[in-house]
Amino acid sequence: MAEAALNAFLKLSRIIDRINDQFGTIANFLVLFACLVSAANAAIRYGLNGLLYLSHNVAFFSALQLGLTWYGNNANALLEAQWYMFAGIVLLGAPFTLKLNEHVRVDLLYGMASPRIRLWIDILGTIFFLLPICVILIYFTWFWFLDSWAINETSSNAGGLIRWPVKLLLPVGFALMALQGVSELIKRVAALMGRYTLHHQYEAPVQ
Amino acid sequence: MTFVRDNMAPLMFGGLVVFMLIGYPAAFSLAAVGLFFGFIGIELGLIVPDYLGNLTYQLYGIISNDLLLAIPFFTFMGAILERCGLAEDLLDSIGQLFGPVRGGLSYAVIFVGAILGAITGTVAASVIAMGVISVPIMMKYGYSTRHTMGVIAASGTITQVIPPSLVLVVLADQLGRSVGDMYAGAIGPSIIQIALFCAWVFIVSVIWPKDVPALPPEARTLRGWALWRKCLRGIIPSLGLIFLVLGTIFLGLATPTEAGALGAVGALLLAGMHRTLSWPLVYQGMSTTMRLTAMVVYILIGARTFSLVFQGVGGKEWIEHLLAALPGGQFGFLVFVNILIFVIAFFLDFFEIAFILIPLLSPVADKLGIDLIWFGVLICANIQTSFMHPPFGFALFYLRGITPPSVKTADIYWGAIPWLVLQVILVAILIIWPESVTYWISKAPPVDPNTVKFEIQIPESPPPLNLQ
Repeated sequence: MAEAALNAFLKLSRIIDRINDQFGTIANFLVLFACLVSAANAAIRYGLNGLLYLSHNVAFFSALQLGLTWYGNNANALLEAQWYMFAGIVLLGAPFTLKLNEHVRVDLLYGMASPRIRLWIDILGTIFFLLPICVILIYFTWFWFLDSWAINETSSNAGGLIRWPVKLLLPVGFALMALQGVSELIKRVAALMGRYTLHHQYEAPVQ
Repeated sequence: MTFVRDNMAPLMFGGLVVFMLIGYPAAFSLAAVGLFFGFIGIELGLIVPDYLGNLTYQLYGIISNDLLLAIPFFTFMGAILERCGLAEDLLDSIGQLFGPVRGGLSYAVIFVGAILGAITGTVAASVIAMGVISVPIMMKYGYSTRHTMGVIAASGTITQVIPPSLVLVVLADQLGRSVGDMYAGAIGPSIIQIALFCAWVFIVSVIWPKDVPALPPEARTLRGWALWRKCLRGIIPSLGLIFLVLGTIFLGLATPTEAGALGAVGALLLAGMHRTLSWPLVYQGMSTTMRLTAMVVYILIGARTFSLVFQGVGGKEWIEHLLAALPGGQFGFLVFVNILIFVIAFFLDFFEIAFILIPLLSPVADKLGIDLIWFGVLICANIQTSFMHPPFGFALFYLRGITPPSVKTADIYWGAIPWLVLQVILVAILIIWPESVTYWISKAPPVDPNTVKFEIQIPESPPPLNLQ
């Protein structure tokens, strides 16, 4: 009976891990996209403006003008897309980072503790720190998102993006984090019972 | 109960220390202290329940902060540069250039560290790239292990102070100052630091010449024009990247965030020129960048939760009261803060210090009339030492990771110590001589609003669109 329950829990943990792997991959790609969009924004803004100063050819000029008008109408959307992606990197990527055990710790005592004590620290920390925090933050941000959704809020900048998707990212991100917390909890309880080997030992992350 | 109510702030600070020491990931421990004491505060009537609702706006403020976007960009740039072959070219050529001099390879490492520092903003990139290349060469030609380890770790951390350092961006954000001013303020200290390092290599080469021999003639394969061409091949793309990142910031063409993105794209192009650009390289860079960014910003989320409640229960006044009582005014405060950060840097990493301590200290500094740019650069130079502290310093970790097992860990630690002392000297110089920081910050002449005239010129050709 207990055996079956444990297996079911471990299966749940694997499912959660797989979900957050996918979101982790999305977050990885957002790094590249955010970078390219931001570089393009800077380059276009100054590059095209610079060319405009130099150009006297009418055809060339009006082509540039067209490009600039398009960009002008969409500049705010592109600028906002940068930090939407940043929000995605952080909120969708953090659960995956938790799975890899790469959230930085003060390892003064943790570093000296035995593997069993470490498991206990993680189990208690997840139950008393991580899960309650995620629940509270979901509670705060969910209603805030609903407000935004109800009025179909858009950016106050001309040509800006709709706002509620990025506000939705907050509760979704914390929910994914809570799920990953559950998965880590299952893995560590199973490890305590000798039924699971942790793949990711804690190491201070590279900066 | 009244005791708890009257001493809520100190109790909360104690709670912070205890919760952090448990060793659960810092982001969650911080948020847990905040919310735990938040609920006690509500129970005791110190804060109203709605006050915690401000958290939502704080969270939104974090993810919509344009400046924090520089974190992934500069990290990504560093991750690409680390393995794109630029550091190899630079070290190889400059090493041969300085080779005939005693300690020449050490000077080369310092200069290349400075150049890499002016291109990228992350320590890992510099230390790993330089360590992989220099350690075998320096050991082969008889440099002492300790000196080799020390000079590479120290030169890698110069990145922290030389603009465009990520540390300065984060500090500027926390202190509410402009990144451009912060960068300008860091120019002087960077120069002093490089001079200090070179002076130390010179001292070593006089006192212990056996530790830093000159390269034997057979090791200097390149001469004359071939050598210079190789040097230029490393230096010209470096200067290009430096302009792309720093130049655009100082000329006001791009925001620091955009400069970071431009730099990352530049690094990709450079990797393409070196024929090292590959999808695994880029994807690995994306992945490390994502994890670091998520980790760092989660610490910030935790720290904001903590400080929101901490301020709500009167923590700001408590800290001000505590620090204002220090003897010695400005000077006493600065000495105390620097010793505090030096010690805390043994346990906390840079981002935790910046997000937890700086918001507590900066209002006091401001009140004492301390220039916050000076304060920020000073803290930046101080935090640099945290990368070199045995046994937890990150630079030492990276070195351990890339040196052969024949190098003893103790040698890495002992090697770091003279350089640690040099950095402490730098901090002392900056405290005693504030002009070394403020000299480079351009003071805009005050404008009298009454004398400002608006003139509208009607252009003959259609006007350029201003899209800012």
